[in-house]
Amino acid sequence: MTDATFPASAAAPQSKSSLLVVDERTRKRNAAEKRFRAYGLSAIAIALIALVVLMYSIFSDGIGAFRQTYLEIPVTLDAAQLDKNGNRNPEDIKKVLTTTYGKLLDQSLQAVMTQNGITIEGIAAKDVSDLISKEASAQLRNRVLANPDLVGQTIDARVLVNGRVDGYYKGRVSMESAARDSNTSPAQLQLADALKGKGMLSTEWNWSFLTNPDASDQRPEAAGVGVAILGSLYMMLVVLFLAVPIGVAASIYLEEFAPKNRLTDIIEVNISNLAAVPSIVFGILGLAAFINFAGLPQSAPIVGGLVLTLMTLPTIIIATRAALKAVPPSIRDAALGVGASKMQSVFHHVLPLAMPGILTGTIIGLAQALGETAPLLLIGMVAFVKNFPAAPMEGLFDPASALPVQVYNWTQRADPAFMERASGAIIVLLVFLLCMNLIAIFLRRKFERRW
Amino acid sequence: MNDMRILERAVEQTDIKISARKVQVHYGEKHALKDVDVDILDKTVTAFIGPSGCGKSTFLRCLNRMNDTIDSCRVDGRIALDGEDIYDKRVDPVQLRARVGMVFQKPNPFPKSIYDNVAYGPRIHGLARNRAELDEIVEKSLRGAALWNEVKDRLSEPGTGLSGGQQQRLCIARAVATQPEVLLMDEPCSALDPIATSQVEDLIDHLREQFSVVIVTHSMQQAARVSQKTAFFHLGNLVEYADTDDIFTRPRDPRTESYISGRIG
Amino acid sequence: MPVSWTLLLVLAMAVAGFVIGRSRVLAAAGGDSRLLHSRTNYYGWNIALYTAVPALFLIAIWLFAQPGANRILVAGVALAVAAVGLIWSLQRTAPDFRARNAVESFVRGLLIMCSSIAILTTAGIVFSMLFETGNFFSQYPWQDFFFGTTWSPRFGGGSQLGILPLVWGTLYISFIALAVSIPIGLFAAIYMSEYASPRMRGFAKPMIEILAGIPTIVYGLFALITVGPMLRDYFAQPLGLGNSGSSVMTAGLVMGIMLIPFVSSLSDDIINAVPQSLRDAALGLGSTQSETVRNVVLPAALPGIVGAILLAASRAIGETMIVVLGAGAAARMDLNPFEAMTTITVKIVSQLTGDTDFAAPETLVAFALGLTLFVVTLGLNIVALYVVRKYREQYE
Repeated sequence: MTDATFPASAAAPQSKSSLLVVDERTRKRNAAEKRFRAYGLSAIAIALIALVVLMYSIFSDGIGAFRQTYLEIPVTLDAAQLDKNGNRNPEDIKKVLTTTYGKLLDQSLQAVMTQNGITIEGIAAKDVSDLISKEASAQLRNRVLANPDLVGQTIDARVLVNGRVDGYYKGRVSMESAARDSNTSPAQLQLADALKGKGMLSTEWNWSFLTNPDASDQRPEAAGVGVAILGSLYMMLVVLFLAVPIGVAASIYLEEFAPKNRLTDIIEVNISNLAAVPSIVFGILGLAAFINFAGLPQSAPIVGGLVLTLMTLPTIIIATRAALKAVPPSIRDAALGVGASKMQSVFHHVLPLAMPGILTGTIIGLAQALGETAPLLLIGMVAFVKNFPAAPMEGLFDPASALPVQVYNWTQRADPAFMERASGAIIVLLVFLLCMNLIAIFLRRKFERRW
Repeated sequence: MNDMRILERAVEQTDIKISARKVQVHYGEKHALKDVDVDILDKTVTAFIGPSGCGKSTFLRCLNRMNDTIDSCRVDGRIALDGEDIYDKRVDPVQLRARVGMVFQKPNPFPKSIYDNVAYGPRIHGLARNRAELDEIVEKSLRGAALWNEVKDRLSEPGTGLSGGQQQRLCIARAVATQPEVLLMDEPCSALDPIATSQVEDLIDHLREQFSVVIVTHSMQQAARVSQKTAFFHLGNLVEYADTDDIFTRPRDPRTESYISGRIG
Repeated sequence: MPVSWTLLLVLAMAVAGFVIGRSRVLAAAGGDSRLLHSRTNYYGWNIALYTAVPALFLIAIWLFAQPGANRILVAGVALAVAAVGLIWSLQRTAPDFRARNAVESFVRGLLIMCSSIAILTTAGIVFSMLFETGNFFSQYPWQDFFFGTTWSPRFGGGSQLGILPLVWGTLYISFIALAVSIPIGLFAAIYMSEYASPRMRGFAKPMIEILAGIPTIVYGLFALITVGPMLRDYFAQPLGLGNSGSSVMTAGLVMGIMLIPFVSSLSDDIINAVPQSLRDAALGLGSTQSETVRNVVLPAALPGIVGAILLAASRAIGETMIVVLGAGAAARMDLNPFEAMTTITVKIVSQLTGDTDFAAPETLVAFALGLTLFVVTLGLNIVALYVVRKYREQYE
């Protein structure tokens, strides 16, 4: 304490101002404070606005996919054309191609027009026949094949109209744009309006978007996410049955048993780094290891599931370890203290207590896997798949699509109607993700424990 | 109201620095301080003692409005610095805290150099017009905190590299550098060893020559060593406030006596 | 399908082994389970594990390595292995056999195997790419790959496969993404941890985290149908900067939005790790709150924030779907942000989808691109995780 000297003048007395008057400098500093706060608030506002705009844009574009325009007309299934031998033999009926059904639909529509006295000035025959979707004839054929007795009768058919007419009723196509479009014409739209006036054409809720498979470039109106949902479901099953047991086992070892040595360190660093490896790299791994090396089929849910498993493992391991870590050591000590082995203390006491945390982490990992796209592109899931895969296990090896990949696939098509479908598929995907996250939140709330 | 005005005049006439009247503090539902009346004298060391949870630190934090940072905290009553109510709407706590400095329980130097730690206050309050003046303030403050000789050759090293006692003296130097009129110290020695404690205690004695010091301590010996006035708090009440000598030799309240003789604590 | 039947048979043998072993050891002890070394179930488990696990592993590995293998042969060998395991472990079953210890070491072995899958994955990634990258460099000089400034693959031969235009596009887009996300994310984190009331925090934090839970394909579609056309119509065309909906700006902006929650939640953690005592010290000296943040909290949190930014950068570089849908496919080195450019990840996708010929350098280059991407992001991650960990230790 040699230097504790206090010359009387050491502290020049501060100019004493009243506390009640804010001085110039403080005023400036408070202004800076206000600006700083405003920056923070606007950052949050920008983030929230981005979220709202994103959601609004997807929903406003995609909601149309859940509505579809149908034409309801009586169709005469002319026996002379469909069953030339007249013996109603299913094998013979099968030989009749969809073009014939197309002609039947065409004739029926013409008949309806004459009956109701609908005449549109300057309408070409092609405009009339193209009003009905190309997919409608295939659907009609399937209906007849399923029930050959319909041949010769006149049935009420509910058929899809073409994508442009459908778009006209959803505001995507206008008379002006139709005039410039080679796939439709104002006359066709007038015809549609006339049919609508007679109550034969209506835009309705579209369940088949959820159940239909993909459709080809010319038939956006028939495309659905059925195969994609099933493919995603299969992949989630694979992830669930592989990633969860392996992830939980690995976490138990690392958290409870692993000796503190170099190898354990390497594994730990490895896992945290794997969690940050770009997902597309896992796609390359899947392509090289599972398809080129092991020879598993392309586009198969099993390969997608394996790739997503490897990708999800770090997430599940990190979440599970956090859950295990949250169980206080006193529980382990208590079990060991009554003579349980280390293994028994973990499996009988620690693991059940950590279960809610593990479940939450697992669901979040699954949600992440469900939305992942990039690695699936590389293992051939972009392929056009129109057939539903079989039931598991064989079905795991059949070609399928996946929801996010189906979205990508549709964005690559020329017809703008597919953009609506892509946004619609996103809505389906987001609804699934929302449900999974709600379950996770519910589990966390219900089982949350404070030690 | 009449006696209130008399009190105010008294504040102006004598060397009372801070006067507190009927101070109540609530933390949410909890009533942490009840009706505290204290006059803190200028150029004096005032000690707040009492068992833990008695409200002494809470009251200390009221004196420079550090309680404002706690959302659930509500302060009623009147606390005046030089006769001006510090809880008046027009008062900017930033200006108040420049005049009523604070030193905390645990040494908390900023992760900056020793120089920047001490220069922080003068810089934000604009006390120096140029580098030379700032250098002077830093040196004076470090001398004032009895730290200059130990650190003058390594002013650019981080303050966190000092020993615990040195860190606490650095924090005192940092508080002194803003040239406060009152220095509040919240158990400044509780994290220090006996040697560092005695250094800080000597320092407090010197600081009294410049301004008033209010120290919260749980050590009665420390209160007896460094302070001239002592206030004893118990369960949110100010039980007794008198000259330190009187409190320790002739306590008037039985509760004070029990505490001093070690029966409540 | 013989494989599922084999699986069922093996499992049935395991269950049978469990029951037989349990009853046999109990009989050997004269019905008094207290004479046994372990509880009776452990004897059963011991047999079941030795019966089922080796056989199941054999089936999995065999079918993986040789998917076209003769199913009857696989089934036969697997059943034989299961039978050997069953008989061997049955023979070991006796009252003084340490069944619990045997089961526990078996389970421990399984746990270790599961943990090593992480390492196997990394090894798999590295080897699968190293091998094909080697093939690529045997057909295409590495100097031209790393220093070439033209990217024009031609499947007829004579391709120029220089990575530099792709690196430029990747870095340009990442730069814009970080320029958007770092200030917004950081300020949002500061506001939420230093200023926001608990109610506001309780609302805004989960809302921002929703952004983190949205799959990247959604952002990609957003870029393609909303942001791209908007930027083109309101900025690029009026300013005469281009006519392309997909551009560096489109991809960068959308990726920036995607990274906001990433930056903000990491920074939030890091800012909260700064001890309250430092804030008190600054406030006690008469700082305003913003001075406390700028002069004390942020400098103290700086290393951690740098780590968070590096992690975000690694995310941006490896992001695929947003750039596939938002950035375009033209490999170009240009400064105009409204011009379409392309990235490493876009080219990996385009070279590996559709008809691929794994002998042609035009396909194999994707593996070299992938390896480059992996090495760069891994480097960033290792540095970032190290910095963040060191930062955490400082305040523990």
